[in-house]
Amino acid sequence: MEILKMDNVSLTYQTVEQETKAIENISLSIEDGEFIALVGPSGCGKTTILSIVSGLIKPSGGSVTLMGKPVEKPGCETGYMLQKDMLFEWRTIEKNVLLGPEIQRNLTEDVKKETEELLKKYGLWEFRKHYPGQLSGGMRQRAALIRTLALNPKLLLLDEPFSALDFQTRLSVCNDIHNIIKSEKKTALLVTHDISEAVSLADRIVVLSQRPSTVKKTFTVDISAPTPLKRRESSDFAKWFDLVWKEVSV
Amino acid sequence: MKKQKNEHELYIQKSNFRKVKIVVIQILILICFLGLWELAAQLGWIDSFITSSPSRVIAMLGDLSKQNLWLHIGTTLYECVIGFVISTLLGCAIAVVLWWSDFLRRVLEPYIVVLNSLPKIALGPIIIIWVGAGAKAIVMMTVLICLIVTIISALGGLMEIDEGKILLMRSMGATKWQILTKLVLPGSLPTFLSVLKINVGLAWVGTIMGEYLVSGAGLGYLIIYGGQVFKLDLVMTSTVILCFLAAIMYFAVALAERLLKRK
Repeated sequence: MEILKMDNVSLTYQTVEQETKAIENISLSIEDGEFIALVGPSGCGKTTILSIVSGLIKPSGGSVTLMGKPVEKPGCETGYMLQKDMLFEWRTIEKNVLLGPEIQRNLTEDVKKETEELLKKYGLWEFRKHYPGQLSGGMRQRAALIRTLALNPKLLLLDEPFSALDFQTRLSVCNDIHNIIKSEKKTALLVTHDISEAVSLADRIVVLSQRPSTVKKTFTVDISAPTPLKRRESSDFAKWFDLVWKEVSV
Repeated sequence: MKKQKNEHELYIQKSNFRKVKIVVIQILILICFLGLWELAAQLGWIDSFITSSPSRVIAMLGDLSKQNLWLHIGTTLYECVIGFVISTLLGCAIAVVLWWSDFLRRVLEPYIVVLNSLPKIALGPIIIIWVGAGAKAIVMMTVLICLIVTIISALGGLMEIDEGKILLMRSMGATKWQILTKLVLPGSLPTFLSVLKINVGLAWVGTIMGEYLVSGAGLGYLIIYGGQVFKLDLVMTSTVILCFLAAIMYFAVALAERLLKRK
């Protein structure tokens, strides 16, 4: 089933000095359960695409439909995860994770049960009464993902969610997050400038061009390995990295 | 293992000793100062009619307590606390309104800047004419002195909230009210606490300044009166009491801060 469909989407930023075309005629379709990575040179409008999909900005042209319905305002169909974990320091992990349902005024027993399950499954249950400051970077990022999942979104939007972590933590968190997303059967759209991350995570890699960005090329990655770490060990990894890297840098 | 523990014990011992040393020296400085002052007055190095002396201050304190010392302390304390509470609440409320409306903030910016640099004491005569001479005028003075600073520092704190966190809340479909109550207000608690600390000092400035201008009672009144009739003992005694009151109020706020931060 098609989760997201972007049809000829473009966006022009207006400032007093000038008009900036950020993205132009982007068409993209994501199927249920897919993991898509958007890569491209920095400043090419990757984050802009996520903002449009989440409904935070309206595109100047084209249409975005989520599960067949046009995207008009932010809501719980998409879950946004940012570079930093953005946990609120004054809330316990439990309260942080329930932020979404609280905002949506949907803090039912069922929702609480579900997030409880998630916390238990992904090793944060003992830390539910802790404050974010008492957790490691990797645990914080996991908590941030569970917070996103608590709204039960159809599509996860990941905006370089690992870039604030050190390399060591990054590899294992990347593995964790991939594992959680796959076992919860979620669809994800990841934005990154790290090509090795894209190759290790994604089913499909969409390469964007310089601004105004358009879709330059799409790769369907077929490394048969169950986890990102295993993918990195695979002999095909270097080949795919090279292919994507050349496409980005040209 | 044993050696390590000893080292740690030594370290604790050293750091405790340092703490004790600091307190002892702090007390010593006070004693030396008071002792020297008294000695100089007794031996006639300084004219105790002009400089007063610790023994005279204590005697004056005794005298005053038989008269209406508590009335003066009560009056000043009352004016100061009322002014402090009003300016803190009002200032924070205005800061929230300015956070809410970007447009209003832009419009009022030059006015706030000018009011901030204006010496509020210049408004003294206007205040007296408008609200009359009395406690009201003094509270008004206190509020004027504290208010603008409160608005500026509180607004600074509200605006400092991480844009990413606001984006996160918006992506979850949060309303502006929810962003304010669930993110911006709790997130600015540290700023709010530092505003309180600044305001304690400023409220005293405002109250005493107000009492200099117009008053029939209060510590500021005693100081001005003492100065006019050349009773320096009275001036010094009132100043000492003021020191104590300001310290108590500061520690009360510091205590409130510690309690709030623990939560």
